Amino acid sequence: MKGWKRKRGQAMLERRLPVGVLRWVGATGLAAGALGLTLLAAGVVLALGGYSPLRAGTALVSGALGSPDAFLSVTLVRAVPLVLTGLAVSLAFRAGVWNIGAEGQLYAGALLGAAVGLVSPGLPAPLHLPVLLLAAGLGGALWAAVPALLKTKLGVGEVVTTLVLNFVALNLTSWAVRGPLQENRGIFPQSDQVAEAARLAPLWEGTRLHWGFPVAVAVAVLLWWVLKYTPVGFRLRAVGAAPNAARVAGRIRVKPLTLGTFLVSGMVAGLAGGVEVAGVTYALYEGLSPGHGYTAIAVALLARLNPLGVIISGTLFGGLEGGAGAMQRDVGIPAAWVRVIQAFVILSALAIERWVRARPHSVFVHPPSAPGGAP
Amino acid sequence: MSRTRSASRTEPEAELIELRDVHQRFGAVAALRGAGLSLRVGEVHALLGENGAGKSTLLRVLAGLQAPDRGELSVRGRVVHLHTPRDAWDEGIGLVHQHFTLVPRLTVLENLALGVRGPSGGWRGGMRLPLEHVAQRAREVAAATGLAIRPNEVVERLSVGDRQRVEILKVLLREPRVVALDEPTAVLAPAEIERLLALLRQLAASGRTVLIVAHKLDEVLSVADRVTVLRAGRTVLEAERASVNARLLADAMLGQEAREAYDNAPVLGRGSVVGGNHRVQARPGHTECIACLERVEVWPAGEAAAAEDPGAEISLDVHRGEIVGVAGVEGNGQRELALVLSGRRAPVRGRAVLPPDPAFIPQDRSREALARDFDLAENFALALHRQGPWRHGPLLRWSALRTTSEKLLTRYRVLAEGTHALARTLSGGNQQRVVIARELEAGHDLLVAENPTRGLDLAASAFVHGELARLREGGGIGIVLLSTDLDEVLTLADRVFVMVRGRLLEVPAAERTRSGVGELMLSASAAADEGVEKEAWPGDA
Amino acid sequence: MSELLAPFFEASVRLGVPLALAALGETITERSGVINIGLEGSIIAGAFAGALGALAWGAPGGAIAGLMAGGVAAAVFAFFALGLGADQIITGTAVTIGGLGLTAAAYETRFGPTGTALSLPTLDPLPVPLLAELPLLGRALFAQPVTAYAAYLLAPVLWWYLQRTAWGLELRAVGEEPCAAEAAGVAVVRTRVFATLFGGAMGGLAGVHLSLAHTATFAEGMSAGRGFIALAVVVLGRWNPLGVVAAALLFGAASALQFSLQALGLNLPYQLFLALPYLLALLALAGWVGRTRAPAALGQPWPAGR
Repeated sequence: MKGWKRKRGQAMLERRLPVGVLRWVGATGLAAGALGLTLLAAGVVLALGGYSPLRAGTALVSGALGSPDAFLSVTLVRAVPLVLTGLAVSLAFRAGVWNIGAEGQLYAGALLGAAVGLVSPGLPAPLHLPVLLLAAGLGGALWAAVPALLKTKLGVGEVVTTLVLNFVALNLTSWAVRGPLQENRGIFPQSDQVAEAARLAPLWEGTRLHWGFPVAVAVAVLLWWVLKYTPVGFRLRAVGAAPNAARVAGRIRVKPLTLGTFLVSGMVAGLAGGVEVAGVTYALYEGLSPGHGYTAIAVALLARLNPLGVIISGTLFGGLEGGAGAMQRDVGIPAAWVRVIQAFVILSALAIERWVRARPHSVFVHPPSAPGGAP
Repeated sequence: MSRTRSASRTEPEAELIELRDVHQRFGAVAALRGAGLSLRVGEVHALLGENGAGKSTLLRVLAGLQAPDRGELSVRGRVVHLHTPRDAWDEGIGLVHQHFTLVPRLTVLENLALGVRGPSGGWRGGMRLPLEHVAQRAREVAAATGLAIRPNEVVERLSVGDRQRVEILKVLLREPRVVALDEPTAVLAPAEIERLLALLRQLAASGRTVLIVAHKLDEVLSVADRVTVLRAGRTVLEAERASVNARLLADAMLGQEAREAYDNAPVLGRGSVVGGNHRVQARPGHTECIACLERVEVWPAGEAAAAEDPGAEISLDVHRGEIVGVAGVEGNGQRELALVLSGRRAPVRGRAVLPPDPAFIPQDRSREALARDFDLAENFALALHRQGPWRHGPLLRWSALRTTSEKLLTRYRVLAEGTHALARTLSGGNQQRVVIARELEAGHDLLVAENPTRGLDLAASAFVHGELARLREGGGIGIVLLSTDLDEVLTLADRVFVMVRGRLLEVPAAERTRSGVGELMLSASAAADEGVEKEAWPGDA
Repeated sequence: MSELLAPFFEASVRLGVPLALAALGETITERSGVINIGLEGSIIAGAFAGALGALAWGAPGGAIAGLMAGGVAAAVFAFFALGLGADQIITGTAVTIGGLGLTAAAYETRFGPTGTALSLPTLDPLPVPLLAELPLLGRALFAQPVTAYAAYLLAPVLWWYLQRTAWGLELRAVGEEPCAAEAAGVAVVRTRVFATLFGGAMGGLAGVHLSLAHTATFAEGMSAGRGFIALAVVVLGRWNPLGVVAAALLFGAASALQFSLQALGLNLPYQLFLALPYLLALLALAGWVGRTRAPAALGQPWPAGR
């Protein structure tokens, strides 16, 4: 009854604006709600810890947005790997694939990408960077292939396998930077710098923002377009939303689609590793990623698994991580609090998703296929 | 138990249970709008009503599974409030569910013991698992009622009929004064139904009250002492069996308006409600074979006894312009046959020649036919997204899909908020209209329909039957109708088959009656049973 | 040989005990139909609270604090996953991220940004008289801290609970077929909440073993994925407490291999040994799934279709 009454007001809106616009408005409102809940919880926790939430917030915002340089060199640079891994997670979740292994896939991509980037003579200069990025994608896809094949061939759930492979990837990287890929000086556990030709150029001179950002945005737009306008994207969403209906009513072969999605998801996460090496660090380190692959889950959920939304939520988290550094410097609040905030964001997003599912008649909110539903 | 029995002797006509003015709303749907029910000691009471009339909801209220929005329940004149199933047991009310509530991977005995606490209760009751005690009691009840069960068998290996016996035994172990059964005959073969009805009479004779819920009149009329009829959530009739007949009850169940709509609908299947059988003569002239199964095995090897049965090979031709009906008790391979015929699954063995894109109406609407969280246009796209008009080269044409969706929603009179409505916001009948509209738009030569009217109310069922009949008249499409509703098959089909343990048996034209089909099922399953050793109670006594 | 084997067995048990404790808890959780990826969060919370508690009240107080902290982490999971019906996997991931972050941040706040190396009161080995003197396995099994004995004791107790008590039967029914359990009068959500809290408390105890028995210090992220390995241990142990403890000891042995092989002077990269338990988990899942069946309702929200 309530649903029908609300509907009348909505019907008026619907006549004036396309449903797509209304859904964007709704998604933005929900994300704002999730963030609001998070800020509230974070403020309470900080106050309990004896910090001033206001000072902490000021330091965070000025660290992320305080100057053009802060925004371009800190926030957006940090956003790049978060957008890419966020896309990897969004794509997988949309298809009902619980890929929690973006972290490991990122490292695998960085490893293979760095290895290619270190080949100093031998590759023609214009090809070096594309080959590095391709190798990074391949590395991520290979790392994802293990849980993907285990899932589709043997029926092993992907949650534990992807998680466990993250640790294997970390150890593999740790070995690589002390063994085959270690710098020629042989002192630090890190690789030499990749060839100049294999690096992503700065987008603007004088900032650290590099061409990885437009690359990430392009990947996001591409994935959005594929999900919306291509048959394979539609099938992927159908498999995630209702696997049985996809199989029976849609006559979709679920396993090949799952396998393919898993590999592409790994590829995008691997690309994130390659972009970090080619655009930021120029070398392979053990601590290359401070857990981007896990933050990616919060990024994806805040965007309600929409690839275009991931650009925004990834940037937001880039600012959060960048600002946290400033917060630690200025107010002395440990940067590890950012992890807690990420957890809050995920939990708030989950709670809001439940609220959405109880309102099937609303035109503003439209459930994305995976989270909140049955896995 | 003895207390109950003595009570029944002293006051045989006492009102044991009274439900008054029960209201229950689920979201936008009012399931109960002033329903009432009174039960007397020692009677068999039938609760009748169309699908969606509120029978199951009223039972859930009675069993403590649903606290109603409004209403009163009294036991022996004392008002009680039931919040959990345990509250209901404490008042002596036991429910045999329509969809069995047994845990498949536990044994029969463990299932019987589930929820039983020792007399001490509390901490010590939770620590002790009284398996021996339960086994002893089960043996006694089984001996008294003739309910043969195998205590140490894992439930998932039991047949549907055996599971129902376990379910009934489980309820009887709690020594209920009232045994309520929700649509108990729906899953049984005719011979098993006879046995069940005899058991119900026996229970009533021993002083218990039996409440049986059904939507088939003839079965309950033979066993009930009194009947209550629900229509659209209200109690519209309460009467002694002797004072009513099938016609009167059907009128009460359907109501004036629905009845008129029903009479005016272009339907064949009138007999499914009032019991008569209008059988259609096999049509001459349907020559072209459009789907053809040759020695196909549908059960995966090793899944059931039938796998080793050399007779479990199916050969079937389907022609344009005919309805092939497949009847049978659920779980005899119809599901697998439907998947093979509709091209959704390759046969285990044998050859299936099928037309491209067979249309399929699966039984499980909300899981297999529709994506609940997709909107209606996306649901249409599920079946249509591969085909010409809705593709622009390699891309989807959403504008064309929306236009088609709107056209179909109008043509099939789907009550929905538009193509952007989520599938799960539609009622069951409207969901089925969407499925039929989509499948007929997408499919061409063959339609496979699996229990297409299950869970639908009368108007929706009439619509589905009307569509099937219309398609058959059109002659361009061959139809396979698989249904556990024997009457539906008998009234609609040109050729009738029965499925028993993975075998498909054709029913000769002369035997196309309920009893004829029933005998065929019985003899076939007896043949398959031969040599299967059963460890059973009370046979070992 | 025995001078090489005895320390190996001892290390196997010492490294296997936290896995056994966490996996025993998760076994109960999963038998009720709940998969709690947040177990890792419970372990790190238990390790940190154990450290704080030990500083304040000594080692036994630390153990209790750790147990409770693990339960609190599981309570957060239970609120979202069971109370609101949110997806169990994502909720568990959030609890793990939050647990790791919160302990790291609180550690830094409490002990300074450099993280002075803590020196904690420890749960010392309690040799069992006579049994500890047995050759080869004696010290390995019976000269262990109290957490090891808790694992030995709980395995048969939990088996008995699952198979021989009315509560255990109800728990199994809830994990297999919650509809049936509800109809039989079992409170499904309450059963699941208790099972989840128990699992979290056991995770907390595993964390206590790490900080108070295994190392006598706390370090950021010291749980090191043990919660995830415990999930694989549960599968390998076929959701049976006895099998789970055996599987946990197997994983302990895999982790202990690095010390023994280094002692043998084998020149393999040490990262291979560090990765060995994770690889073993992968192999175990690959080889074992399909030959064993998870509880039918594992990971399914209740009530269904919410």
